Amino acid sequence: MTLIRHLLLIAVLFGASTAFAQGSSLARSDRAATISNVPAEVLVVLAKEEPGEIDPQLKKLTALRRPPFNSFRSMQILSRPKLTLTPGKDALVSLPNGRRVKLTLLRVMPDGRYKVKAAINRPDKSDYLPLLQVVASAGDPFFVAGQTYKGGTLVVGVIVDPKKTTQ
Amino acid sequence: MESAKTEDEKLQMFFDGELAPEEAAAVRRSLQASPEGAAQLREWEQLRVAMRSVSADWAGQIDSDALFARIEADLSAPVIPIDRPARTPAFREVPGGRERRVWGAAAIGFAAAAAIFLVVIASPTGDPQGGAPAVARGSEVLEVDFGANTGTIFEVEGGAGQSLAVVWIDDEEVGLP
Repeated sequence: MTLIRHLLLIAVLFGASTAFAQGSSLARSDRAATISNVPAEVLVVLAKEEPGEIDPQLKKLTALRRPPFNSFRSMQILSRPKLTLTPGKDALVSLPNGRRVKLTLLRVMPDGRYKVKAAINRPDKSDYLPLLQVVASAGDPFFVAGQTYKGGTLVVGVIVDPKKTTQ
Repeated sequence: MESAKTEDEKLQMFFDGELAPEEAAAVRRSLQASPEGAAQLREWEQLRVAMRSVSADWAGQIDSDALFARIEADLSAPVIPIDRPARTPAFREVPGGRERRVWGAAAIGFAAAAAIFLVVIASPTGDPQGGAPAVARGSEVLEVDFGANTGTIFEVEGGAGQSLAVVWIDDEEVGLP
């Protein structure tokens, strides 16, 4: 290999690495600057295996018709609180069984998804869900299900930045 | 101009290990006199070591005896003349063209680097407030502590085909009535 080729190779590699580093740092700084507040929505659904009505508002949420949710024949929205997630600050949502969901926005990942921490307490007992960390893209929910309530099961869906829903 | 050309050729010969020991030592001293030159020297030496390593690896994979036997067989084979039309050379050596090629190649390299830089800068950053995320969709569990309960993590397909995380936790504490 001659000096010419080496010069060419070094120039391309140097330029590419510099561009990548600068592009990445710009992307990170952009995200850091725009992460201040992110809207979120918590969907509290009472699901039962006995036949009944599926709330029309859930029709678009096709994930609730697939396993492990497909054994439920009725679904009723109990509440749908909207909140604002601020990085590092806890946001609380009360559940109908007296427990509370605690949500914390941790950061925005390099791929644009939100890293969120969730916990659900259980009064006078150890926490029902001590810790859950997820990454979720804007508009795509994650679910916590399994709490028994009024003969059914609570399905809690959390959607960060719900305006960008793809469901 | 002539001295610059001579310097360039000397550098190239130095890198290729073609200089006489005293000339190589002089070039090395000259490079080491400045921080930029010393850095350039280190880069070349690293490159040379890497190339040697790769060459050694490749050499280890070649059956040299078989290769030389084949070359000797080809050389000893009778030559059969073939009438072919005279070819026009694709490249023509022009006096002074070597230097132009060096700078031309470097210019192409920097142009390519600049193009890569512009593409990265101009491409969307996946700003979560303003544009669509660049790559990933859906939701995914990174960490979960079920505490005193038992639980399961599911993935369920969303309406857009994306994977959505479902954490299912039994409401009964393990070991408690």
